[in-house]
Amino acid sequence: MAAVAAWLPFARAAAIGWVPVAQQPMPPPPVNREHNRTDDLMKINVSGRRFETWRNTLEKYPDTLLGSNEKEFFYDEDAKEYFFDRDPDIFRNVLNYYRTGKLHYPKHECITAYDEELAFFGIMPDIIGDCCYEDYRDRKRENNERLLDDKDSEDGDNVPLASMREKLWRAFENPQTGTAALVFYYVTGFFIAVSVMGNVVETVPCGIVPGTFDNPSCGDRYEKVFFVVDTACVMIFSVEYLLRLYAAPDRCKYMRSIMSVIDVVAILPYYIGLFLTEENDDVSGAFVTLRVFRVFRIFKFSRHSQGLRILGYTLKSCASELGFLVFSLAMAIIIFATIMFYAEKNVENTKFTSIPAAFWYTIVTMTTLGYGDITPETIMGKIVGGICSLSGVLVIALPVPVIVSNFSRIYHQSQRTDKRKAQKKARLARIRMAKNASGAAFVARKKKEEERIRLQELGQEPEDKDDADVFELQHHHLLSCLEKTTDREFTDMDVNYNGQPTKLLGTPPLTPTMSVRSRDNKNRTTGCCARKSSRKTRESLETEDLNDINVTQ
Amino acid sequence: MQVVRYKPEGLDALCRNTKFSRKELQIMYRGFKQECPTGIVNEETFKEIYAQFFPQGESSQYAHYVFSTFDRDNNGSISFEEFVVGLSVLSRGSLQEKLQWAFSLYDINNDGVISKDEMTSIITAIYDLMGRCSEPFVDENTIRDHVDRVFQKMDLNKDGFISMDEFMEACRGDASISKSLGVFDTVL
Repeated sequence: MAAVAAWLPFARAAAIGWVPVAQQPMPPPPVNREHNRTDDLMKINVSGRRFETWRNTLEKYPDTLLGSNEKEFFYDEDAKEYFFDRDPDIFRNVLNYYRTGKLHYPKHECITAYDEELAFFGIMPDIIGDCCYEDYRDRKRENNERLLDDKDSEDGDNVPLASMREKLWRAFENPQTGTAALVFYYVTGFFIAVSVMGNVVETVPCGIVPGTFDNPSCGDRYEKVFFVVDTACVMIFSVEYLLRLYAAPDRCKYMRSIMSVIDVVAILPYYIGLFLTEENDDVSGAFVTLRVFRVFRIFKFSRHSQGLRILGYTLKSCASELGFLVFSLAMAIIIFATIMFYAEKNVENTKFTSIPAAFWYTIVTMTTLGYGDITPETIMGKIVGGICSLSGVLVIALPVPVIVSNFSRIYHQSQRTDKRKAQKKARLARIRMAKNASGAAFVARKKKEEERIRLQELGQEPEDKDDADVFELQHHHLLSCLEKTTDREFTDMDVNYNGQPTKLLGTPPLTPTMSVRSRDNKNRTTGCCARKSSRKTRESLETEDLNDINVTQ
Repeated sequence: MQVVRYKPEGLDALCRNTKFSRKELQIMYRGFKQECPTGIVNEETFKEIYAQFFPQGESSQYAHYVFSTFDRDNNGSISFEEFVVGLSVLSRGSLQEKLQWAFSLYDINNDGVISKDEMTSIITAIYDLMGRCSEPFVDENTIRDHVDRVFQKMDLNKDGFISMDEFMEACRGDASISKSLGVFDTVL
C-alpha cells in the first residue's frame, strides 16, 4: 500500500471532482506534522557489503526494523552508517522489498535461514510476491514435514469449537485422532474380515455326517452358528452406518457417496433375507442369489486401506483409456472370430458353431491362455489362429505402460491441483484480509478521533499522541471527503465463519461503555463491537489458516 | 506489445510550465518512475492504483473518467508532463482553473455541456467508490435524487444541460464549494 504513496497526491487532487456535487462541505485537511522531510541518503553496512538508499524508501514500511526507529540501535557513530551483522545476500532481497514493494524468495537459499532474516528485519513472510510464493510455500511445507517426522509428535486436532457431531465425523475419517476412534477402526476391520471369512467358509464341505453318506457344506451343517455370526456382523455394520449418517456434515451428499452405497448393499441382503423367510419359501431362491451380494462387504476394506482407494480412483480416472482399450480389443476379437468362423464352419463336429462361439476361442488365444477346449482344424483356421495369438501378445502388452504412465500423471496432477487450489484460497484470503484491514483501519481511526475530541470536550488530556505517518493521514482524509460527498459512512466489515463478509449494521453496544457523544446522531459500531468483530475476524483467519494446512497435506 | 520508453522534457522546462519547485518535481518524478518504470501510465495501471486507495469499492469507473481528463491528447496513456501539469492545476491553480478541470471531468463526451446522463454516470461512479459497506444503504433513488438536486442548483435556465458559465456561476456563488476546493491545496 505504501508503495503507491507517490500517487496519493494525485488521488487527492482528483478528489476535486467530488467537490461540486458534494452534499456536505469537505473536512479540513490533516496537519502535516513533519515538515522537514529531507530526502537524504542512508548508508547500510551488512557484514562489510555496503548498501545505500534514500531515507524515504526505508520509511515506506514503518512497522519493520529498517522503517522504524529500531534501526537507531544499530547506528555506528564513527562511520556514520548502520551496521548489521547479518547475511548480505539475503539482505539484498530485503532491501529490494523496500525499493519495489515486492519480496522475492531466492530458490537457492535455505528456508530456515531466510525465515530468520525476515524475522530479524521485522518483515512478515506473507507478503512474498506471487512469483515466488508457491516455491516458498512448498519449501516451507517440506521443512515442516521433516520437523514433524523428527519430532514424531501427534498434535491431533486443534480446533476447540468442535461439536459432538463434528468430533464423531473426524474420528471416523481419521482414526489416528484418539484411542476410541482407533479401537472402533480395528473392531470394524475385524468384523469385516470375520464376515467375509464366514461367507467363504460356509460353502466348504465340512466332512461326512456320521451315519449318512452326505457331505454337506459347513453352512448347512452349522446353520445356527453362521446365522449368529452373520447377525452380529450385520448389527455392527448397521450401527456403523447409522452413526456415520448422523455425523456426516452433508447427509445427502454422504448418502450418494460410493462408500455409503457399499455399506447399504452389504447389509441389505440380510434384512431382505429376514423378511423373505418370514413370508414364504417360493422366493427363497432369490434369497440365495442375494447372498452373492454379501461379497461386497470386502469393499468396505477400502476405508482401511489407502492403496485400495488410490487404485479405485485411478481406475475411475483412467476410465477413458480403459474404455478405448476395451473397444480396440473388442474390434480385434470380432475380426478374428469372424474369420475363424468362416474358415472352420464347414468342418464336421466343429465347435465353431457361430461367431459368438468363436469369441471364446479368440479371447482365450489372444490372452495366450489356450485352454484347448476349442481348436481349429483347417489350414486356414490354423494360420488365422497363429496370427491371432501373435497379435494378441502385442495388443495386451501395449496398454499396460499407458495405464501406468496415466496413473503417475494423474496422481501428480491431482496433487498439483490440490496444491494450487489451496494456494489460491490462501492468496484470496490474504487479499481480503488486506482490504478489510485498510477499511477497518479507517473506521478505527475515525473512532479514535471522536474519542479524542470527546475527551477534550470533557476537559481531559488525550492520552496518546497518534503518530500515524503522513500517508495514512492523507489517505484517511481522502476517505472522509468521500463520505461527505456522498453523505454516507463507511462501516466495519465483519467476516463470519463461512468466509463471506457480512455487513455489520449499527448494533448497540453490548456493555455500557463510553458511548455518549455530543454530535452523534447516527448508529455506529462502538468500541466493544469493533473489538468483537476484530476478534471474530482473527478467529476466522486462524481457522482459515488451519484449513489451509489440512488441504495442502 | 511494444514497451514504449518515455523521457520527459528537461527539469527547467517543466519548472516553467508548472507551479512546482525543482525539488518537488524531483521527488514526484522519482515516485512516478518507481511506480511506472517505462515512464508512462496506461489506463490499466491507473485503475489498479485507484483500486488500492479505495479497496472496498469499485473504483474502475471513476478512475476511467479521471484518466480521460488527465490524458489531454487522448492517446491512451499519461506521460509525466500530463501528470505534472494536471497536478499543478489541481493543487496550485486558481479557483477558475480548478472549476474548469472539474467541468471537463464531468463533460464526458467533451461537447461543452453536461447532460443529465453524464452527471448520473459520474455520480454513480462516485457512489461506487464507497462500495458495499456504507450506510445508509444506496439505491437508484439515492442517485437520482442527488442528480436532481445538483441540476436544480446549477441548471439556471432549466434546459436540461449545464453549460460552462452556469457551472462557474453556481460554484462561485456557493461559499462551501470555494472553501472545499481549497482543502486539497497542500498536496506535497
